Amino acid sequence: MDQAERELLAETLRKTMTAASGRALDSALADLGWAELLAELPDVAVPLTFRLLGETGAHAPLLNDVLLRAAGRPPGGTTALPYTGGAWVRWERDDRESTALDGDLPLRILPTGDPLTDPALAAGRRALGWWLLGTGRAMLALARTHVLDRTQFGRPLSSFQAVRHRLAETLVDLEGAEATLLAAEDGLGSLLAKAAAGRAALTAARHCQQVLGGIGFTAEHGLHRHVRRTLVLDGLLGSARELTREVGALLRESGTAPRLIQL
Amino acid sequence: MSSTHMNVADFRSGLRTWLDRNDLSPGPDHSLDGQVAQLARVRRALFDAGWMRYGWPPDVQGLGGPAVLRAVLGEEVAERGLAEPGIYSMVEVLVPTLISYAPPALARTMVPRLLSGREQWCQGFSEPGSGSDLASLTTRAVPREGGTSHSSGAESGGDWVITGQKVWTSLAQYAARCVLLTRTGPGHGGITAFFVDMDTPGITVRPLRTMHGVDEFAEVFLDDVVVPADRMLGRPGDGWQLAMDLLPHERSTCFWHRIAHLFTRLDRLLDETGDPDDDALGAAYLALHTARARSHATQRRLAEGAVLGPETSVDKVLLATAEQRLFDTARDLLPGVLELTDSPWREEYLYSRAATIYGGTAEIQRNIIARRLLGLGKD
Ligand SMILES: Cc1cc2nc3c(=O)[nH]c(=O)nc-3n(C[C@H](O)[C@H](O)[C@H](O)COP(=O)(O)OP(=O)(O)OC[C@H]3O[C@@H](n4cnc5c(N)ncnc54)[C@H](O)[C@@H]3O)c2cc1C
Repeated sequence: MDQAERELLAETLRKTMTAASGRALDSALADLGWAELLAELPDVAVPLTFRLLGETGAHAPLLNDVLLRAAGRPPGGTTALPYTGGAWVRWERDDRESTALDGDLPLRILPTGDPLTDPALAAGRRALGWWLLGTGRAMLALARTHVLDRTQFGRPLSSFQAVRHRLAETLVDLEGAEATLLAAEDGLGSLLAKAAAGRAALTAARHCQQVLGGIGFTAEHGLHRHVRRTLVLDGLLGSARELTREVGALLRESGTAPRLIQL
Repeated sequence: MSSTHMNVADFRSGLRTWLDRNDLSPGPDHSLDGQVAQLARVRRALFDAGWMRYGWPPDVQGLGGPAVLRAVLGEEVAERGLAEPGIYSMVEVLVPTLISYAPPALARTMVPRLLSGREQWCQGFSEPGSGSDLASLTTRAVPREGGTSHSSGAESGGDWVITGQKVWTSLAQYAARCVLLTRTGPGHGGITAFFVDMDTPGITVRPLRTMHGVDEFAEVFLDDVVVPADRMLGRPGDGWQLAMDLLPHERSTCFWHRIAHLFTRLDRLLDETGDPDDDALGAAYLALHTARARSHATQRRLAEGAVLGPETSVDKVLLATAEQRLFDTARDLLPGVLELTDSPWREEYLYSRAATIYGGTAEIQRNIIARRLLGLGKD
């Protein structure tokens, strides 16, 4: 797929995600050929689609498809997903009520589940990493617009260094996370990328919430949806904190720090 | 080995074989004198064997090939602990500056002296009154009246006379030459760079004591120092652009070297600590891995011909943050070691405090990111 085709695909996906979410988006994407795209061009399809879910704020149960594919099964069903703290959830393919902090996501708590295979875990973590990254970028975009538009003390908020540095920090974390996602190939790389993306999105949530002040605390402003999504997605297939600890244990056992990325 | 066919994999395996056969490990002298002597020894051996010449153009006795070969070389040097990475990497900013700005004949003569370890050079930018605000520098260069060569003045190719002071100039006390920024007129467009011989009359170097005990930098006093016009780098007023142009070099190859070095320190920490604090170890590793991933992407863009710009401030913040986190973690997980014993951790921990200061402070990087990458306008 060349650059122009990729841009066209991104445009189409973005439009579709802006128009629909949840079950409606799931079927719209099916009509667009999501299954074929995932089967034939996973390295294009997954980063692009999941990042755009984050950026647009839409959601769809596509994580199931990524995991099913890694297990050699056809897309369209669901699979039990490990959640932080030893819990299990199912991401349903309909728009049911949910008790999740992000109530839009049709997550159902399960008593238990079958452990995912390593390739499935890695693929799922990369997909979620891209989603978290997109969510982080969405929050940064909202905060950026706000600080440029709003005036206090006779100056735009964007002229205050404390505000600027918070947003700069956010960008640094997001860019770093994106680099780890682009470099993620094996299980450890995918784990690190999910941890970096989770951390970056949490940083974005904290800083963007702060610079948005009171308006960002209202339900009318879009920020809270992204904050909720960040918190919930971070826990799926291992939170940033859990994954960081896991990699620390791995390092301690092996006694050396793997150099995953080579020139 | 023909440079036209030299790729990263061949280069690396050839280099490793060579390094396995030619032991360049440092001796017991860890003083700064010892480090500088070791650096010269390593450079000379690598230059003579050709390794140090790859990635540089033939005009300066290079063997050509992509710049990434220099990153590979520096990584091997760091992984094996052959030279202190900070001073090893100085060539990465000095040589490209000479290649881009010096008269070709000067670059041809001088660059091999640096690459081969026969000389050290330094970079005289900062002044007592001008650190972050580098463009406010006041060391003055004026055309010499009634000069020795031809008539007076810059346009006619006469000498220049430089007076002022530089500070925190790394390796000035060892350096044979200095890339020096001076003021020849007002504003950013009034900054002019020279390539100055450090033994020119009127130059006094006074070493400064550093916090970590390795007194790597010095003050440089310039008192009516006469410099010929053919030692000007670029044209009058090009100095600011020169300073800007060297950032991408510093932030590609040099960073890769430093990251490789930091991985060796994380290995050392894993080896020495008995504290099973997996959160801290994992976080230190994650930060380093992130810096490495970012730096890798930057090298790739460079290799594809991209012009590096303000986005490298992201690399700088990631690296400085990762470096300080690593040494903070070492201090936490090796309790009492750097406080009570004369271990190498002490010096390296202290040196890591400078990571958010040199090469543009962390705050300056965030200012650049806010202004140039986020488009937040002036502050
Ligand atoms: C180990 C080491 C090696 C060095 N080697 C060299 C060398 O070889 N050659 C050379 O020329 N220089 C060298 N330097 C100097 C270095 O480049 C300067 O220290 C650096 O640019 C900062 O300048 P300063 O020390 O004057 O700090 P200042 O600019 O005075 O800054 C002090 C504090 O104020 C903050 N600050 C300043 N301006 C702003 C702003 N606009 N917004 C927010 N915060 C601000 C800074 O971030 C910093 O925290 C070296 C420094 C060190 C520590």
